[in-house]
Amino acid sequence: MFNKVLIANRGEIAVRAVRACREMGITAVALYDPSDISSLHVRLADECVRVESPAFFMDDQAMVKLARERGVDAIYPGYGFLSEAAGFAQACLDAGIAFIGPPPEVLQQTRDKLAALTRAREAGFLTVQSSPEAYGRDQMAELQQAADQLGYPLVVKSYRGGRGRGSRLISSPDKVTQAMRQGQQTAADSENGRIYLERAIIPAHQISVQVMGDRFGNLVCLGEREGSIMYHNQKVIEESPTPCLMPDERARLWQTAVAIARLFHYQNVGSVEFLVTDAGEFYFSEIKARIQVEHPLTEMRAGIDLVREQIRLAAGESLSFRQEDVNLRGWAVLARIYAEDPQRHFLPSPGRLARLRVPTGPDIRVDTYAYSGCQVPAAYAPLFAKLTAWGPDRASSIARLRQGLADFAVAGIPTNIPLLQQIVQAEGFVYGRYHTGSLKEPLLENGAAAPHLRDLAVIAAITYIRRHQQFEPAALERLATGWHRESRRIGN
Amino acid sequence: MSNLQITIDEHTYEVVLNLPSPNGSGYEVMVDGERVKVLLPEAALHNGELEWLVVGERPYEFVMDPHLTWIKAFSGLHRLEIKDLDAQVSRPRSGDGRVKAPIPGLITHLRVQVGDAVEAGISILVLEAMKMENEIRAPLSGVVTAVHVAAGQTVARGEVLVEIGNP
Repeated sequence: MFNKVLIANRGEIAVRAVRACREMGITAVALYDPSDISSLHVRLADECVRVESPAFFMDDQAMVKLARERGVDAIYPGYGFLSEAAGFAQACLDAGIAFIGPPPEVLQQTRDKLAALTRAREAGFLTVQSSPEAYGRDQMAELQQAADQLGYPLVVKSYRGGRGRGSRLISSPDKVTQAMRQGQQTAADSENGRIYLERAIIPAHQISVQVMGDRFGNLVCLGEREGSIMYHNQKVIEESPTPCLMPDERARLWQTAVAIARLFHYQNVGSVEFLVTDAGEFYFSEIKARIQVEHPLTEMRAGIDLVREQIRLAAGESLSFRQEDVNLRGWAVLARIYAEDPQRHFLPSPGRLARLRVPTGPDIRVDTYAYSGCQVPAAYAPLFAKLTAWGPDRASSIARLRQGLADFAVAGIPTNIPLLQQIVQAEGFVYGRYHTGSLKEPLLENGAAAPHLRDLAVIAAITYIRRHQQFEPAALERLATGWHRESRRIGN
Repeated sequence: MSNLQITIDEHTYEVVLNLPSPNGSGYEVMVDGERVKVLLPEAALHNGELEWLVVGERPYEFVMDPHLTWIKAFSGLHRLEIKDLDAQVSRPRSGDGRVKAPIPGLITHLRVQVGDAVEAGISILVLEAMKMENEIRAPLSGVVTAVHVAAGQTVARGEVLVEIGNP
């Protein structure tokens, strides 16, 4: 087993990794740029190393150099940043440092999305339809032709981009050029700015099947998660299992996922992703060769620590359990809490988090780097907490998530919690009838007239008066002549 | 005594605030003609921070923004409009032509220059923050009278970026 691990990430996933390392008796080294020093992963680590800027997390050479200088024997990449970079994984191995993830040759194959689709297709699996190749800035004519061949609607995707960046839906031939320019602009900072096309499946369910493999060829499946509720290409509410599959469809999906993972000689922890139609047909889309943001869903149902398993498997150990030992219990729902302002079109809202009190209680889990008084830095993605609720069945897990969201007290920065609250109340969600098109543009609706609105009006009135007393001398004067005199009279 | 008209999610209430209660820990309030006691468990209320009080015997944790345009409670976010019936003024809304940075970030595209005629709602620049490209749009129609930033520049929240005046 490793002695010392460098966490090549920050925020909540770094907190998660630091804790896993320390539980296993491994020294954890955390990284931070100056704007991120208040985040919890820095405080909890055994060692914390300052890096110049957020860009460091994308710099594979510098990362390996730092790892060597600190004498670590493994690197934990988390999600995003360098987590799926085959070149980085290879550079780690060349430096004699273990990469906690799949081997570089597996990453090479899963990262090349078009080649991965072709390979799965040739092996007889149903996949999403894609353009034959990726296109650069100067290949507009080829792109238009590929688009017309594929048919509409289709999705423009960045060839090397992650997290849905650069993804755009286009519905007709005349929109191709514009979407391509935008897609390439967004993709320009990734490796080569190329884009490719995928035939859109609408409506569909975005479903990931969690798999895990060791270097001896053992592969297991830990069930699926559905992440169809998204806006701005970010998932917001996810659940496990999915409510959209019948038991026999589910069994076939798992078998297919394991077979595809086997095709790629998959090792370590990863997810095989599918688009599933309402008719229960599923189309392979890609392998996410890393831990996923929503992994707590699987952990709560399986009772297996996925990050610990990642570390064990990367250290060369075999799987500690067999498929028949996997017992997925109950239902889990997860909400991603973003520093975003519902009042301003969900623009990011970084800043000082003056107060934070997270929900507690049975079968509630919060993953966060934040606490009262910390900063939510502007340089990173706006996710600052994940709230996961478990219950013996779907209804009870949703009830617990609802309570958790109502209970989640944040002040100082606006968050998307009000929107999450509306989603988990919405009929489509409650009855499990939703798909990837259900929440296109987030929209905060006025709540129905609730009995407590009157109480909130009273609170607003009192707050108005108190703030005016405190901050506006003119108002204070007015109150001093009216209010206080009056009060004395009534007081007597 | 103070008379306020509070509109919350399009429901309007008349609130009459009386005195602070004798021990200074609360208020007595008339809302739509009904008397309600309000307890303030903590002396200090802080702008934008988590506050709590008890209306009748119902506890509320809440956050209100500094401009008092919304309130967040257990039930979510509610829009507010406060009318001070004594002062006969509404809460002011910003409406001049100064376009300020809604968030700190990096200007990646600047689409206007001084002298350009713009229409309300068109994109005048792109502000990148937290890995998102945010289109900043003209709040009103007019002519660009000043541009205070350049592409590639980092700006702070509230910084004036562009000014739009009447032609």
